[in-house]
Amino acid sequence: MNSRKVAAALVLPLVGALSLTACTGPGTDEEVAETVSIDQDWSQADPITIDVFDGLANYMGTQSGWFGKVVKDKFNMELNVIAPNVAGGGDTLYNTRVAGGDLGDLIVVDKGEKLDELIEGGLVLDASPYVDSMANATAFDAALDKLNEGKDGVFGFPTAVSSIKPTEPSEGLEPTFGPYLRWDLYAEAGYPEIGTLEDLLPVLEDMQEANPEAENGQKAYAISLFKDWDGNMMVMGKQPTTLYGYDEMGFVLAKADGSDYQSIVDTDSEYVRALRFYFDANQRGLVDPESTTQNYDTMFSKYQNGQVLLSWWPWLGQSAYNTEQNMADGKGFQLAPMADQQIFSYGAEVYGGKQVLAIGAGAEDPARIAAFIDWLYSPEGVNMNSSQTGAAAGPQDLTWEIGENGEPALTEFGNQVFLGGGADVPAEWGGGAYTDGVSTLNVSTVLPKDVDPDTGFPYNYTFWPSYQEKVANPLTEDWGARMGDAASAMEYLQDNDQLLVAPGSSFTAPADTSEIETIRSQVKASIIEHSWKMVFAKDDAEFDALLTSMQETVDGLGYQTVLDFDMANAQAQNDARVAVANEFG
Amino acid sequence: MSLTQGTPATTGAPAPAQAAAAVLPADGRRTGSRPGRARRGRKPASNARSSKTMFWLIAPFLVLVFLFSYLPLAGWATAFYDYKPALGLTGSEFVGLQWFEMLVSSPAQLQQLGQVLANTLAMSFLGFATSLLPVFFAMLLNEIRAPWFRNAVQTLTTLPNFISWVLVYLIAFSLFSTTGLVNSVLGDWGLITTPLKFLDTDQHVWLTMLLWSLWKGLGWGAIMYLAAITSIDPALYESARIDGANRFQLMRYITFPQLMPTYVVLLVLSIANMLNNGMEQFYVFQNAFNKEYIQVLDLYVYNIGITGNSLSMATALGMLKSLISVALLVAANAVAKRARGTSII
Repeated sequence: MNSRKVAAALVLPLVGALSLTACTGPGTDEEVAETVSIDQDWSQADPITIDVFDGLANYMGTQSGWFGKVVKDKFNMELNVIAPNVAGGGDTLYNTRVAGGDLGDLIVVDKGEKLDELIEGGLVLDASPYVDSMANATAFDAALDKLNEGKDGVFGFPTAVSSIKPTEPSEGLEPTFGPYLRWDLYAEAGYPEIGTLEDLLPVLEDMQEANPEAENGQKAYAISLFKDWDGNMMVMGKQPTTLYGYDEMGFVLAKADGSDYQSIVDTDSEYVRALRFYFDANQRGLVDPESTTQNYDTMFSKYQNGQVLLSWWPWLGQSAYNTEQNMADGKGFQLAPMADQQIFSYGAEVYGGKQVLAIGAGAEDPARIAAFIDWLYSPEGVNMNSSQTGAAAGPQDLTWEIGENGEPALTEFGNQVFLGGGADVPAEWGGGAYTDGVSTLNVSTVLPKDVDPDTGFPYNYTFWPSYQEKVANPLTEDWGARMGDAASAMEYLQDNDQLLVAPGSSFTAPADTSEIETIRSQVKASIIEHSWKMVFAKDDAEFDALLTSMQETVDGLGYQTVLDFDMANAQAQNDARVAVANEFG
Repeated sequence: MSLTQGTPATTGAPAPAQAAAAVLPADGRRTGSRPGRARRGRKPASNARSSKTMFWLIAPFLVLVFLFSYLPLAGWATAFYDYKPALGLTGSEFVGLQWFEMLVSSPAQLQQLGQVLANTLAMSFLGFATSLLPVFFAMLLNEIRAPWFRNAVQTLTTLPNFISWVLVYLIAFSLFSTTGLVNSVLGDWGLITTPLKFLDTDQHVWLTMLLWSLWKGLGWGAIMYLAAITSIDPALYESARIDGANRFQLMRYITFPQLMPTYVVLLVLSIANMLNNGMEQFYVFQNAFNKEYIQVLDLYVYNIGITGNSLSMATALGMLKSLISVALLVAANAVAKRARGTSII
């Protein structure tokens, strides 16, 4: 197939654009039989390399390291990961590949609009012949059936499926969002009380004054922003709204319990409140001036160096700064006790998450890919595959083992990997640094919080008693003592009724009509542009003028049409949440 | 297939104007270099066979022009559909003129389009206004006597042309960001307390963009004039010197007027390209703060089509742009004809 592509590329300039039709879907020659068993020893099959188009991956290229070796040993297959996130340019890569007729052999893509479009365009394979023998995947048949409801076959496999109640948080010990402060500096400031969002500003000001420079000699700022993920709105503008239970649905901020829906551009919306918060912070000199030009990676390294004091995400502040060494010194990011917070939490998704796995219509050996997908749902697969960001423990007997008491515990090697700053994998596992070898698919088939049927404990090792005993340190002890002896942020929030769980309904908004899509893209560009200007406005008058200008511009562009559409979706999402809560809750 | 048809039009290649621009130099070369050969070939043989040979010689270029300048016009069809790549053009819904209507549907849309056009024209006119600079630069360069110094200056000023805009932005960023060289030095000297915003501001955007493109293009733009200077008849200079003209008078009364025909042709061609200021420069420099003034037509098409994923609307916009470009070319040509008596087409 590769040589054919090369030949096509060489012939192209001569034969012209018409020859491009030749690239459209190589297609499988043999007819697929009625049912095909995937149950065979794939390690003896011919070696193949499959293209994995992965909308979640943050790595592009061949999967290497220990995960690559495991897949190679089991399936004699290499994964060539194609990552639009790395390629950049929004949907360009997706559009180009889709127009070429071959998205990939294994596809990780959003359900809803994109999946439907791919099915209609004949780019994904009907996996019905294989499903019967996919024992691990069919264990989650509720999600599988729901996903393929109304479709003429089995086209998608759900991700992040869970057996936990949809009204329970899907997160681990820390929520997805939250006001995370540099706890050591907060302690130095004398643990001042924080009533509401705006009360953070004086606290942050004290913290920044007491700590004007990080250890590396660079200036420290309370707040640092970035723009890479700006979508319907400025992404950093949305985060403070999640502290009050809101999440976005297009241009609507919908409260998790369905009690409030806001248009983001309204003067009294939580979004504008967040912008004003940043504006005030900037007036006080608390905002990193590089915010306007830096990207996520630059910002992340500032967190690592201790140059930023506030994080809206534990997976940013904590993962960058809470190293074993720092925590032993009592330094690190911890949840702040903000009195009126109602933090948004995603409920466990019985019907699976936003993305799906699918087999490409042009896949060379679909049965093997089906077998691979099925393996990803097995306890072994979940442990190995979800280890990048899902906090699953990795391969048994390498990073963890069943201890003498029958409970899972990290091995010495596992301790070194997860707490000691990394380690090299033994040669029999493929060698190389452990972190370089983790699965780059970056998609969890089963929620890591779910219980591993083989061990009786969650896949996520941070829930294991053996782990929790081990990680006690001056930072968490001080935090726990202040927070009413809470063992974790999640426990604190639940005990204090400061968590608002949105039941996991797996709702997907219907596709935008192209008219709405076009208006939306213009409106959001305008909102983002104005938002950034507002944050860095000179004075109140300019801030208000920009706000008015934003409201007038987006209205003129047709904001109301999109808002009505989003509002209807937000209501429908709430109906779905109520329904799923009633059924499973 | 449909996307590749759509792309050139979508990403703002104004096919006719570019086609015209692409054909013209080729024509020029043909009429410039071929007469000699053709005459030599035609006069003695003067049969149909040699003109057939000649045709085969240019055929590959005609094919290329057709493939890359005319065939992509088929992509214009995208503008009349609600194009979805996964479904192909045949599977997408036909929507007629919906996208064209949408472009002008509301005052806010028109205002946005107006701002984009204003930016485009401003950048173009600033370009015209400074288009004499390479002429003067070439003339002054020509007057330098020491060859090593002249070569050094020419090399150094031509070099930036070969640096991509991405790298230019990198240079700009390390110099002018809030923690860049300029701000650090000024801060260390105690001249400023808060960093100056050079990149993320909506002040003087047109001017800074002009300066960057001058820095990048001045030396390169002078090359053609340097070549033109060498072809000026030395007899003119000799007779002027005999008449007692000094160096400045030679420049003023001989070099400058002799360069004008070249200058006018280039100017007219650039007028046809008035709506194409390219997008790389503006794309790398754009951010939320300067977007209002930096978004030129090509960038706007890109932002709508690729960033905003509205391929059909971007195609419609690209089509309008092509039509305006053709109109401009015809108008410029008419003006040149009246002013100088010769047509460029």
